[in-house]
Amino acid sequence: MATAQVDSSTTAAFVNPIISATLETFEMMLGVVPKRTGLQINESHTPTYDVSAMISMTGQIKGTIVFSVAGEAALNIFEQLIGDKSESLNEEVCDAIGEVSNMIAGSAKAKLAELELSLGLPTMVMGRDHRIHYPDSVARPIQLLFESDLGPFTLEFGFAKED
Amino acid sequence: MKVLLVDDSGTMRTIQRRCLNKLNVNEVVEADNGQTGLNEFQSQQFDVVLTDWNMPVMDGLTFVKNMRAENKTVPIIMITTEAERSRVVDAIQAGVSDYLVKPFTPDKLKEKLEKWVGCHV
Repeated sequence: MATAQVDSSTTAAFVNPIISATLETFEMMLGVVPKRTGLQINESHTPTYDVSAMISMTGQIKGTIVFSVAGEAALNIFEQLIGDKSESLNEEVCDAIGEVSNMIAGSAKAKLAELELSLGLPTMVMGRDHRIHYPDSVARPIQLLFESDLGPFTLEFGFAKED
Repeated sequence: MKVLLVDDSGTMRTIQRRCLNKLNVNEVVEADNGQTGLNEFQSQQFDVVLTDWNMPVMDGLTFVKNMRAENKTVPIIMITTEAERSRVVDAIQAGVSDYLVKPFTPDKLKEKLEKWVGCHV
């Protein structure tokens, strides 16, 4: 089915609950307050960082939200959450990032339900240059850049409505 | 004091187990879904049960209903991302004793565990 990209003010209404949920999850579970450092267009469907959680959105629009963290940030998040160090991006680190993503999605769920939107369960992808699946009309996803004491991460998203 | 800890995320089980250990509760049996949790519950005596809601094989709500069919008194704390009022009501009607929404601060988890496990640091 053909899709069309969603305008910027509608996109903001969908993204703001995700941003609030991300900040809340970092503050409560990890004890750090991330700062937004920028917004940019991603020219590809490959996130900047190596560890990503993809969350699908369905309802009045469809789309994909990606929580993507730098490898070192993923190791720091794991240590902060679990209390153990990991030297490599293994399955346990992946599970920890997946659980953080799950809490972000869970925390945003109620606000998005008011906008007739629902979120799927996060799917984890790890490795350099991995690609994300977006709806057909999303050529260039939007990236929000964050810095935190645990390292950098991005929220990346692309939405489309069916014609 | 013996605690049954049911969550499909190893990360969440570790967070909760470490908190229990800090409260000097070291007898913790872990299960990664409601069905394996129910098997443990039917084969041993527990003083407190901690459970997630969204899990594969058997979800937390079904798990709680099954436990309550056999045991009306054991304290059950549900720890979940399900924050909507209607979901909390569903859980209370199924028989949970307390409810903690993720994300939570370490102090909030400690407070709930202290209340039901009956131990203090």
